[in-house]
Amino acid sequence: MSTGRSGLAGGILRGAAFVFLLMLHPATAHDGPHTHRVHITDFAFEPATLTVRPGDTIEWINDDLAPHTATAATGGWDTGLLSSGTVGAIVIGAEAAGSIDYICAFHPHMRGVIVVERDDP
Amino acid sequence: MLKFVTPPLALAAALATLPAPAQVPDLNDLEIAHAAYTAGAIDIRYAHLAMALSEAPAVREFAAVMLRDHNAVNEAAGALIQELDVTPQDNALSQALLTGAAENIDRFRTLDGAAFDCAYAENELGYHQVVNQTVSESFIPAVTVAPLRELLADALVTFRAHEAHAERMVAELGCGS
Repeated sequence: MSTGRSGLAGGILRGAAFVFLLMLHPATAHDGPHTHRVHITDFAFEPATLTVRPGDTIEWINDDLAPHTATAATGGWDTGLLSSGTVGAIVIGAEAAGSIDYICAFHPHMRGVIVVERDDP
Repeated sequence: MLKFVTPPLALAAALATLPAPAQVPDLNDLEIAHAAYTAGAIDIRYAHLAMALSEAPAVREFAAVMLRDHNAVNEAAGALIQELDVTPQDNALSQALLTGAAENIDRFRTLDGAAFDCAYAENELGYHQVVNQTVSESFIPAVTVAPLRELLADALVTFRAHEAHAERMVAELGCGS
């Protein structure tokens, strides 16, 4: 199931609740999928730019009191509302590549970038 | 009487008459908790009014953020109060905030269209400026209970983001130009 222009697969992990694993395909050349964590702190994504590979998981944890989201700037994927202390996750699709801008849908001045690097030439 | 809530049409003059945070009367922890909670609840009331009366996307977007964020902050405050098993104490500052808010809401209800939008937007900017200064310079230094101080510091991060958002809203609406 494609999740839009970004090629990212979307899903939500709230606490230890659940995660959608969409577009997960095997056969990336690096040493297996990794999980990356982005903190949402003081109305900013930390790190603001994250480099990942297809198959990796990105988790956002909301350290603020205010609810936030991580939402593709051009649409296509969204963690949904992350209340304080909760975690949202997406899994990078096998076809994803390049830079993908995202924002908090509630506070659009909050911006982050996912850079998807691929092994294939 | 302390007056935090400013007449929107005379914002600059009104701000000049507000007490400096150092002049806020000595409040104990429970009174500070009450005043901070009250300030958030007032902004929620303003936001509900804006959602009812405004059709401007910038105003409605801002009001939706206020509803979402201030409810979250006040929920966290409620949880802390429950955890500490204490009861916030009403006080003169909370009463002054409520009196000012009632006066503002009465005035807002007489407005519509761009007049309402700018009145709301300018009030939100002035309100957050004054409340943020008070929280940072009076409440946080005065609080003696660490969890309450941490909650106020976390809330201040949110309120400062609101102040910056209010500045953008006022500029977008072209108020005063």
